[in-house]
Parts: sequence; C-alpha cells; structure tokens
Amino acid sequence: MNIKTWAPSTLALALTVSSIGIAQAKSEDSVTVYSSRKEHLIKPLFVSFTKDTGIKVMYLTGKSGALIERLKLEGKNTKADMFMTVDAGNLWYAATQGLFQAVQTQTLESNIPSHLRDPKGLWTGLSVRARTIVYSTERVNPTDLSTYENLADSKWAGRLCLRTSKKIYTKSLVASMIYHHSKNRAGDIISGWVNNLAAIPNAKDSHIMNAIVSGQCDVGLVNTYYFARLIAQNPNVPLKLFWANQDTTGVHVNVSGAGVIKYAPNTKGAIKLLEWLSSAKAQAIYASLNKEYPANQNVASDEVVSSWGLFKQDKMNLAQTGILQADAVKLMQIKGYR
Amino acid sequence: MPIFVVALSWLFTERELWAHFSTVLLPNLISATMVLLIGVGLGVTLLGTLLAYLVVMVEFPGRRWLEWALFLPFAIPAYVLAFVYLGVFDYSGYVQVWMREVLGLPGFDIRTGPWAIILTFVLVFYPYVYMMVRASFKRQKINIIEAGQLLGASPLRVFFKISLPMARPAVAAGLLVTLMETLADFGVVSLFNFDTFTTAIYSAWGDFRSIEVAAQLASLLVLVAFFLIFFEKKARGQAKYYSNDVSNKKPYYVLGFVGWLISLFVFCVFMLSFAMPMLQLIIWGWASMGEEWSVKYVDLIISTSVLTTLAALITVSIATILALPSRCKRNSPWLKSLISMATLGYALPGSIMAVGLLYGINQVSAISVYFGGQSINHIIFGSIALLLFAYVSRFMAIGYSSIKASAEQIKPVFTQSARLLGASYLRLIWKIYLPMMMPGVLAGGLLVAVDVMKELPATYLLRPFGWDTLAVQVYELSAEGLFERAAIPALIMVLFGAVLMLIFQLLDQKSSKNL
Repeated sequence: MNIKTWAPSTLALALTVSSIGIAQAKSEDSVTVYSSRKEHLIKPLFVSFTKDTGIKVMYLTGKSGALIERLKLEGKNTKADMFMTVDAGNLWYAATQGLFQAVQTQTLESNIPSHLRDPKGLWTGLSVRARTIVYSTERVNPTDLSTYENLADSKWAGRLCLRTSKKIYTKSLVASMIYHHSKNRAGDIISGWVNNLAAIPNAKDSHIMNAIVSGQCDVGLVNTYYFARLIAQNPNVPLKLFWANQDTTGVHVNVSGAGVIKYAPNTKGAIKLLEWLSSAKAQAIYASLNKEYPANQNVASDEVVSSWGLFKQDKMNLAQTGILQADAVKLMQIKGYR
Repeated sequence: MPIFVVALSWLFTERELWAHFSTVLLPNLISATMVLLIGVGLGVTLLGTLLAYLVVMVEFPGRRWLEWALFLPFAIPAYVLAFVYLGVFDYSGYVQVWMREVLGLPGFDIRTGPWAIILTFVLVFYPYVYMMVRASFKRQKINIIEAGQLLGASPLRVFFKISLPMARPAVAAGLLVTLMETLADFGVVSLFNFDTFTTAIYSAWGDFRSIEVAAQLASLLVLVAFFLIFFEKKARGQAKYYSNDVSNKKPYYVLGFVGWLISLFVFCVFMLSFAMPMLQLIIWGWASMGEEWSVKYVDLIISTSVLTTLAALITVSIATILALPSRCKRNSPWLKSLISMATLGYALPGSIMAVGLLYGINQVSAISVYFGGQSINHIIFGSIALLLFAYVSRFMAIGYSSIKASAEQIKPVFTQSARLLGASYLRLIWKIYLPMMMPGVLAGGLLVAVDVMKELPATYLLRPFGWDTLAVQVYELSAEGLFERAAIPALIMVLFGAVLMLIFQLLDQKSSKNL
C-alpha cells in the first residue's frame, strides 16, 4: 500500500465535491457582495433591496484583509460585484490594490457628500461612525474633559480605558493624530495614554464601557453606536458621551462603505445596489439598525442618536487613515500600546 | 502544500519591516510565547495526567460519572470559553463585583500577566492529554501494578516508577497536540489581548500588508512545530507496549474523607471547564433568544453538519492509510517524514494556512496560464473542496495520532501468524488491521469532527456562498461585542460537540468490554 494507490481516488473525490461548489447558478438578475460588515447588519438591507427591485443579493462575509486578498487572487474571474467594508483605511487599501472601478452617478453625488466619497469615485461611504470620549457620570466632571490629546495628561493616570491597538478604529484614530500633529507629537500622546491606562487595552468597546461602569476606569474612547446599544439595554447606565476636540480638530469620524469591483460580472446591478444603499430608505435602515450616522445628509439619525446633539466633525480626508495606517501601527508597537 | 508555499516566501525579504519586527516586536513576543507554551504545557500535563490517573486507578465517589464528564470540555471552542471567562471573572464580572462588594477585596485586571490565559488554555486543552493518557493507563496491566503493591511500594512510588513511565508516549502525544493548538490560536489571545507569535504574523499581514513577512514568520512557527514533533518522537523512544488487556478493576479504593476530597477536586475541574461556562451561555442565550433565534439556524446546522461529516470522513480515510504502513516492513524514511509533514498543519494558524492555500492555487494557475491553459482560481476558490482540503491538512494530526495509537496495539503475533497462513497483504489489512483499528478510526473521526465544527479562521476565509457555519455565526456576533446573542450558536455547537463526545465515550466503553 502506498501513495500511488490512494492519490487518484482522493483527487477524484475532491473534484467531484468541488463541482458542487460551482454548480450554483449565476444569473443576471443577482448581485454578489463580499462584505466585512457582519451578516446581521447587512441582511435586512439586502432583503429590502430585493423587495424593491427584484434583484437578488448573494453575499459572503469575512474579515476585510482576507476578503481583499481573495479578491486580488480571484482577479478577472471573480464572482463578486461589490466589496463592502468598514473603515476608510480598508476602502482606501482595496482601492490602491486596483479592486474597484470608478462609479460616479448623479444619484450618488446628490445623496452622499463629497468628503465621504473617494475623489475618483472608487468607493462610497454609506454610514458615518464617530469615535469619542465616554465617561463615568459618577466620577468625572465633564469640564475636565476636552480632547483626545488631553487624555494623555497625567491627571488621568490609572483612569483610562482604551481599545486594543489591533483594532482598525484605534489605528485610524492614531493616524489622525499623526496627520494633525507630527509623528513625534503623536508618539508622545500614545505614551501618555499608555501611562494612564487602568487596564490592558480591551478587545471590545463593550468591555471598555463595562469597565467604566464597574469602576475599573473613569474615561474611555468608544464608537457611539456601541454606547447606543448599551443604553438601549440599560437606560440608567451611569455613562455619558463627550464630544472630543470641539475647539480644535473635531470628533474623529470614519465610514463604512462599498465599491463596485473592477471585474464585476454584473456592474449594472452593483451600481443599482450602491445607489439604492445611498437612498433615503436604505439610509434610514442604516441609522436604525446599527445606530450609526447616515451618510445621506437628508436622512435623520435615530432618535436616541439625535438626542446627543450635533458636533463638529474632523474634516481630515479619510484616505489619510489608510495612507498613515502602517505608521500608526509602528508607532503604537514602539510605544508599547497593546 | 500550504507549508511549501509558506517556506517559499523566504525568497523575498523586506529588510525594513524585518528590522522593525526584530527590534520592537519579536523579543517580547518570543518570550511571551515561551511563557505561554511552558505554562500551558505544564498545566495540561499535570492536570490531564492526574485526572486520568484518578479515574482509572482509583475508585472514589462519583468516579464513573465524572470519568465521562471530563471529556465534555473538548466540545467548547477555546474562544467561546475565553469570552465566557472574561465575562464572569474580569473586573466587571459577577465574581469580582461580589468580591469587592461583599468581601471588600480590591478588584484587579485578570489579563495582567499570563496566568489567566494559561489557565484558560489549560482548561480547554487538558482533555487532549486526559483522553490519551487515560487510554494508556487503561491498557496497563493491572498485575504489574499489583506486583508493585505487593512489594510494598507506596501508591506514589507505583505511580512514578510504573504507571507514569508506561504512559509517557501518551503524555507526549497529548502535550504535542496541545502545544500546537496553543501556537496556532488567535481567538483566545486576542480576547485577552495577550501578544504571541501569532500576533506578529497577523500584524505583518494585516497592518503592513506584507504577505511575505507573514509567511516567513509562519514558517518559523512550523519550524517550532517540527521540533516539537521531533521531541515527541524522542520522548516516545523505542517504547512499545503491546497490550489489549483492559481491566476495569481499580487498584486503589479511596472512600472516606480523602475519597470525597478527590471527588470534589475532579468535580471542580468539571464545573470550571464545562458546567459553569454552559450555565453562563444558557443565561445569555435565554436573554437573547427572541432577538437571535430564527430559521436561518436550520441552514447553519445543515452546513455545519455536512462540512463536519465530509471533513471527518476524508481525514480519517487518509489518516488510516497513513497509519497502515507503520505496521509493514517497507518502512521507508521518506514516507515517515512525509507523514510528519502531513501532520504539521496543526501548528499553523487557520487563516495563514488558508491564505497559503489560496496563494498556492494561484501559483498553479499562473503556471497553467503560462503554458496556455486556463486559470483555475475561479473553479477552486470558494469551492467546498478547497475548504475540505484545508480541514484535512489542519486536523490530520488529530486523526492520525488516534488511529496510529490503535494500530500500534496490534500485536505483531497476529501479523506473523496471518502471514504464515498465507494471507495476502490486502487480506491482512481487510481482515486484521482494519477491524482491530476500527475503535481508533471511529474515535479519531469523532475528534476530528468536533475540531472541524469548532474551526473558525479557515472556514471564514474559504467557505463557499451560503455555507456559513455555527462557528462563523458565533464569531460575527461576538466580534461586535454581542456576546449574549453569540451564546445561542455557541450553545448549539457545544451541544452537538457534547453528543459526539458521548458517542466517543460509548465506543470507548464498548471496545474495552469487547477486548
């Protein structure tokens, strides 16, 4: 008994099984989406789109980096028509890898403000998320709060909770620090943060808020929709949001968005889906489903979200988060920000 | 093949990134990884061996029930256990809140230092050692131990001089699997934010977009695995114990107070590693039932079952064939090294292996295009065959070690007499080897099935459209911090896993009665 006898049979089995994979019909009236946005957040949108247009949506969720690799390797033979992801850094990277085709239509231009779209139309932002300060109403006087940079001050020693540097939200925020100041100044801010940490950086924003509620720390940085989710469960939670950097650069914002794949088998369908996602109807679903800020300025935020009031946004071009991301990560690794 | 691709990456180097990695990241990561490996290694060896010894050699209250209950934690994926432990034991969890409010003790961050993560890994991986060592203890001839007792040796002396040396290969095998799993883990370490070597691999790939440096780092990981396998072979030595005599007679009876202490200890391990996490999952799952439960779970369960069954069948078939030649005379050295290579995949982080696979196929495609053929990427990518291939390469080690253990128990005398009677080699395989290896084959298949069901990274990257599994669902929800909702797919998964482990246990009992 040796390799020769079993290799052919295994191969045959593998090929038989693989044909099941490609047997799935590919029809003209369906759009295929690769998404790093999680299923429970995109499915309701797609269901509604199919109801409106009759176009079916097939989707595959995955991690952003892995999906980008897969799209690169699939190249011209890809089945994907659209790539959907969170964070402008990821969209920017996918664009630099030549995955997207430029899409500029009147509908998109009137629905989504230009600073949330790629200048060449390679990708379009579909929802806006703000990362700002959350604090304990029991132990923090909001007049002590001002900026992200200020959290590096030694008065916050042992009182700060941050999310891990491995999360893209942290990377983009630090990229904005490098952009607004310099690498050196950003390095000092990171060192200050690290010195002030009350605990090892958390894996999730929800862990940060739990830590503040239980008294492990007093202030932290979170994306606002996590806070919205927490107060939906527990309206009396002793936490509040504080809009950071209102007298300086503004609150750090980012987008989730999508682009049409360069070699999309169904470009027309993909553009239709993209336009539909920017429409008032879809944007309202975005706003209520994940409590993010709609990218379409004509659509109101969710009620709870509106109650936090308006704030000044950081107007840094979002492509910068991608361009400066590697520098940001290096800096955090050097300064020991886990 | 993924390993080959990973090794090829050394042809391309990026000096600048390497300089950053080797000065900033690697020194700390290597020492942290070593600490983790040593801690987890010691922990599983001590706990696994001790538990196995207690349930096999000692009769104490509740032993029969606890003996199988100790298998169950194998059904819980490591990342699920990690998020349950963080929820229960971290600063904001019930335990510490209670300790602060009732006992007035100061709170602390359980993620400081390596002890909590080591404990998590130990509780999730000890079943590997327990399983293998228990089987080995069961095969030890009771008369040797009785001889030791008669000669007046204390139980401790019997343990160290007789039982433990005889079980050494099993301990080494269990330890090997545990260490490879620990090296490959990404879920638990990211929840604890504990940086290991895997962190560097992901950083090279995710942050610096260098698949080459990631592959180079991954190849170092494979090298470590290679050494581990080498040491396991050494530890195994020439020791071969042919014995099928399984006795259910216990050499030691401990009833009274000490007996209850032993029960309490074993029960605590079971509580901590299975009952408590399950209870927490049930509480969370109950609270989010209305929000999360829907018909899509039917699809999730079907695709999980199909993938699991197919992967287990293929892995076991190949592993059986690989295990067979070890009994025949044509034992060529290159075949042995081929088998070692086939089991190395276990130490590679799942997503690195998956990307390695994609790149490998892309290379094959490129060659085919070069010679005027067609690219095969679009046929292979996103096909179930590729995913199955990934499962098989990743979990071969598990299937193989279980099947090989049963192949090694076949006494040479059977082969010799069959040969003397003129049986052909094929007939020998069909009539003697396969039936005698069957318990090992079934056990290996069940273990592979449980592992495949829990597998996340490769599934997440390679699965075809519409083949979401329960593990994928757990990840998608927990990645958003929705642990309560993630509890529902996690519970279903643990339930299936527990059923598989119970079947495993029943088979085990049956085979020990038959022999």
